[in-house]
Amino acid sequence: MPNYLSNLKPNFTPGSISLGKIAKFQYALTLKDELAAKTITRQESIDLLEDMLVIREFEEMIVKLRSGAYDPCAGFNYRGPTHVSIGQEGSSVGGCFGIAGDDFITSTHRGHGDSIAKGCVAIRAMSDERLKSRIPGIKTTSRGELVEAALEDHIYRTAAELFGKEAGYCLGRGGGMHIADFTAGHLGANAIVGGGVPIATGAAVANRYLKNGKVVLCFAGDGAYANGVVLESLNWAAMDQFTNHLAKDHKFGTPVIFAILNNHYGMTHRTEDEVMGIHTMARRAAGFADNNMHAEVVNGMNVLAVRDAVRRAAAGCRDGKGPYLVELSCYRYYGHSLSDPRNEYRLKEEEEAWKAVDPIRTFKDELVAAGVMTAASLEALETKVRDRNARASARAAASPDPVAEDVIKFMYTDTSAEIVPEAYQNAPIVKKEPVIKRQDGQLTYKDAIKEALIEEMKRDARVVLYGEDVADYGGAFKVTKDLLEAFGRDRVYNSPISEAAICGTAVGGAMAGTRPIVELMYMDFALMASDQISNQAAKWHYMSGAKVEVPLVIRASVGGGKGYGGQHSQTLESMFAHIPGLYVVYPATPYDAKGMLKTAIRDNNPIMFVESQLLYPMKGAVPETEYLIPLGLADVKREGKDLTIVAWGPAVWDALKAADLLAKDNVSVEVVDLRSLVPLDMETVLRSVKKTGRCVVASQCIDIGSFTGEIASRIMMEAFDYLDAPVMRVGSKNGIAPQSHILEAAFLPNEKDIVAAARRIL
Amino acid sequence: MAQILVMPKYGQTVEESTIVKWRVKEGDAVHKGDIVFEIETDKATMEVESFFEGTLLKILVGEGQTVPVTSPVAFIGKPGEALPDLAARPKPEAAPVPAKAAVAGPASTEARVPAQSGTSAVSIPSSAPSLPPAPPTAKRLFASPRARVMAKNSALDISRMPGTGPGGRIIEKDVLAFMEKNQVTAIKITPAAKQKAIHKGVDILTVRPSGDGGRITESDIDRALEERPKVMSKMRQIIAERLTRSATTIPHFYVTVAVDMTDLLSLRKRLKEAGKAYTVTDFILESVVLTLGEKPAFNSSTDGKSTRWNSSVNLGMAVSLEQGLVVPVIREADRLTLKELHEAAQALALKAREGKLRPDEMSGSTFTISNMGMLNVENFTAIINPGESAILAVSSTFPTPVVRDGKLVARDIMKITLSSDHRIIDGAQAAGFANAIKAKLEDMELWKSLT
Repeated sequence: MPNYLSNLKPNFTPGSISLGKIAKFQYALTLKDELAAKTITRQESIDLLEDMLVIREFEEMIVKLRSGAYDPCAGFNYRGPTHVSIGQEGSSVGGCFGIAGDDFITSTHRGHGDSIAKGCVAIRAMSDERLKSRIPGIKTTSRGELVEAALEDHIYRTAAELFGKEAGYCLGRGGGMHIADFTAGHLGANAIVGGGVPIATGAAVANRYLKNGKVVLCFAGDGAYANGVVLESLNWAAMDQFTNHLAKDHKFGTPVIFAILNNHYGMTHRTEDEVMGIHTMARRAAGFADNNMHAEVVNGMNVLAVRDAVRRAAAGCRDGKGPYLVELSCYRYYGHSLSDPRNEYRLKEEEEAWKAVDPIRTFKDELVAAGVMTAASLEALETKVRDRNARASARAAASPDPVAEDVIKFMYTDTSAEIVPEAYQNAPIVKKEPVIKRQDGQLTYKDAIKEALIEEMKRDARVVLYGEDVADYGGAFKVTKDLLEAFGRDRVYNSPISEAAICGTAVGGAMAGTRPIVELMYMDFALMASDQISNQAAKWHYMSGAKVEVPLVIRASVGGGKGYGGQHSQTLESMFAHIPGLYVVYPATPYDAKGMLKTAIRDNNPIMFVESQLLYPMKGAVPETEYLIPLGLADVKREGKDLTIVAWGPAVWDALKAADLLAKDNVSVEVVDLRSLVPLDMETVLRSVKKTGRCVVASQCIDIGSFTGEIASRIMMEAFDYLDAPVMRVGSKNGIAPQSHILEAAFLPNEKDIVAAARRIL
Repeated sequence: MAQILVMPKYGQTVEESTIVKWRVKEGDAVHKGDIVFEIETDKATMEVESFFEGTLLKILVGEGQTVPVTSPVAFIGKPGEALPDLAARPKPEAAPVPAKAAVAGPASTEARVPAQSGTSAVSIPSSAPSLPPAPPTAKRLFASPRARVMAKNSALDISRMPGTGPGGRIIEKDVLAFMEKNQVTAIKITPAAKQKAIHKGVDILTVRPSGDGGRITESDIDRALEERPKVMSKMRQIIAERLTRSATTIPHFYVTVAVDMTDLLSLRKRLKEAGKAYTVTDFILESVVLTLGEKPAFNSSTDGKSTRWNSSVNLGMAVSLEQGLVVPVIREADRLTLKELHEAAQALALKAREGKLRPDEMSGSTFTISNMGMLNVENFTAIINPGESAILAVSSTFPTPVVRDGKLVARDIMKITLSSDHRIIDGAQAAGFANAIKAKLEDMELWKSLT
């Protein structure tokens, strides 16, 4: 009995749609009011100012460093970006004060303020033990001294990261545009505009699934809200299935707050009256949720207003009412970077007008007016912040650089989920466990994959599965049929047709503690998600200095050979093998598919798991007992002594057929199934080629730029003296997959092409 | 289609030749190998044979006419067939023609066929410049890396193996076949010898074994290495080049005279006792200087077209060193007294032995003396230093029975042999020059006046 059958009747009743109202600038309280209402403490209000001062001082240091005018770091040459957010402190600090210390944020290339604010808030909320673990060797037991030391250490690690030092939060691998501190709930600044928004969304969906009560505050600029993946993410977060009848007893909206840092410029273009048709960013919410995501427009120059709005949003999120959207209208006093003089696109008068509502100056006035601080205590606080920043920055500038030999260290992690935490072991079967029937011990390639998915989802409840039409329908190729019934919609759900968000949310989900498996119906669609795959999934382990692992599997199936034409037939693993940080595997047999997928799901690296629709019905022996196949281990599918054929994917079968043909002429062929492009097992390839002296490398990739060239070149470099003939390559024609069966047969390589290549070197 | 007979280019530098005689007439049958016509080059007359079968259809160049080499001279074909259009024929080229006799001569690049009469149907192209033949390109050896390594590790020379791979590439199979054919695995060789052969690239098939039971030992490999060609020193290579050029481009002839040195040796002894030390060489040098003043042709040079006389006598003295031959030069020897000549010769010889000669002290000689007097030789001939017209070879002095005034007496006889460039010096001149030196060496009055 199907899980859910739609019964949508035509309904053309005349009427109109009301988009409701989006409140703006409703906050009318003073600090005095909030103190009286006990919605803020005196210390908290001082902390608000202190953190804004820390950010302002820190970013003014960057400006001064560029002109050699920052005395504490005299002689230090700062190389790197200068995307300062001076003027936006109210939004960064107000936002981070609106969430809890262990909530998450994502941030942007202009994210020093967000990062500093999040760290300060998190540190003040940390236990003594956690604070001590952050500062090795600290002796004091005084809470005040511990916090003070941790704050100074926070500035030190932030500065060190900007300075590219080993002491930086990301060991100098990320820099200011990719700064992240996962121990403080900072899931990363993102230098791809909008790139962090699906990560925030995915982390929030993970929070929702893990029921950990955490909220994600997603900072992104107004410019990002023209980017496709951002709009995909808004839609994703607001999906009905999280809150309607499909969610059954877990109706809980995505706990994410989209905080639009509307500084009114995308680099230098105006968003409001130039590149967009809306004059209030908050309107975006109306397009994605009937409740407008509780959107409101907030004065981002007023730290109290921002704090108030985000606090209310966070509370709503924890109540399952997410997602929320707040537009924080603010201003950056400097240009996009220090090389931007601003005078090409805006007036001095505009800048002066915004500076007149400077978040720091106006809040100082409030503190004095509320009797919390005096001129003298303000000055003392400013001096303390200035001196502390100076000490931390000077120490950072003088700290050791990373070792050059470590340049590609941290590209991959060698860890895997060998042990499942108790809470996630033996995941419950919601309804019924799918039965996969064997015939003579054989399974189809498709069922082998399905069996791996079932076994691993049972083993570890952190494993979740989503993609287009994978739930009720069981996937376009029925690989995931019955998995929804087995594991429930929290773990198996349909995604919108949003490939970038499919992959991006998986990154966020992986960062937040789940282990997503996502399906891309056709590998061609991976190009829609190329930023999220290549710049996010692949890079975060390295860019964070190995501070975060991104355990996710992207299952992408290749449609070539079905007459589906140019946009549904591509074999693209060579492209992704070129992206460092990503594993790329492509099993050719049911046995390998199951064993490798199980390993991939347990591995803590992001993995592009390529499948072939042509191979789905292919049968092969698959043992019922559990087994794993290590990634990065080639397999000799047939032994021989005269010629090696290295292949992967469907080309393995062509290679085996070619071996049969050549055997008729007494040519003994060894077939090496690469199975995994990254990591690459050259040892097995070289061992074979050293034996035979001849090699044909075959895949279904088109020849130009194909990974076959990489294999050939490695053989040339590492086994030249063993070669009795040049290494040959066989691939698809250098063209676009055609629809016509006649043309596609000519386009794809087959066993005859491999035999022809072999004959040229025999 | 009719074939074209051309004027052969029988020497590399032959530019044009003359038809002396046609052996066949138009309309006669011609067989491959038949002598068709006779030609005269600048030095020789020779016969030209046909490479074609057929009938001599048309003679283009009559007897007595001179045409550039490779120009068409006749057509051979079937009777009645149309004659080829020579205008459409590629220009004659200086491709090597089977040579019977190479005749040297100056090359010129312009030559024109004399106007022909009665051959209105054909135009005769002028000859193309004659170019030196392209040096044979070193044949690149195509062998797979695997085959190379296998050959190397088997201590075999891969270049001897026939290749059967694509494009004639030597592949593993060829190495294995070669090894089987040569029973390489049956070759007995000590492990150390094998390692050395591999390391030094010695082909073990070329090594003569000396060990027990025909085993190749390390010393056999060492011997093979000793037998390898070794690159000559730069100095030796220059010597080789210069001497080869001289011996192959200068027509040498030789005149030997016997000089009675008895009186001069006595005089030298007396002078030495009197504190004036002269060497035999000094007297020879002085004799040559004086003679060169009398016979300027010997202080000249030629390029085969002109002669050039040198007003100064710059005397080269061949000095044998361990590393080769050097020829220090006594500049303006004609201006020096015997004593000065002695001092200059001593100084240069010393410098030569110490290897301190400057380049300008080894160049610019106008006449050279090669003295092997101290080396116990009866007689020898020397090769002219390029740029000079003669060289004097001085041999050892031996007590020799000679007839003097009808009586057999023992005299100290030294043979000197003059090598001359026949292009500018004839026999009588050379005889005169040699005898003039002899006369001076035997003239004690002369030496008394000079010492």
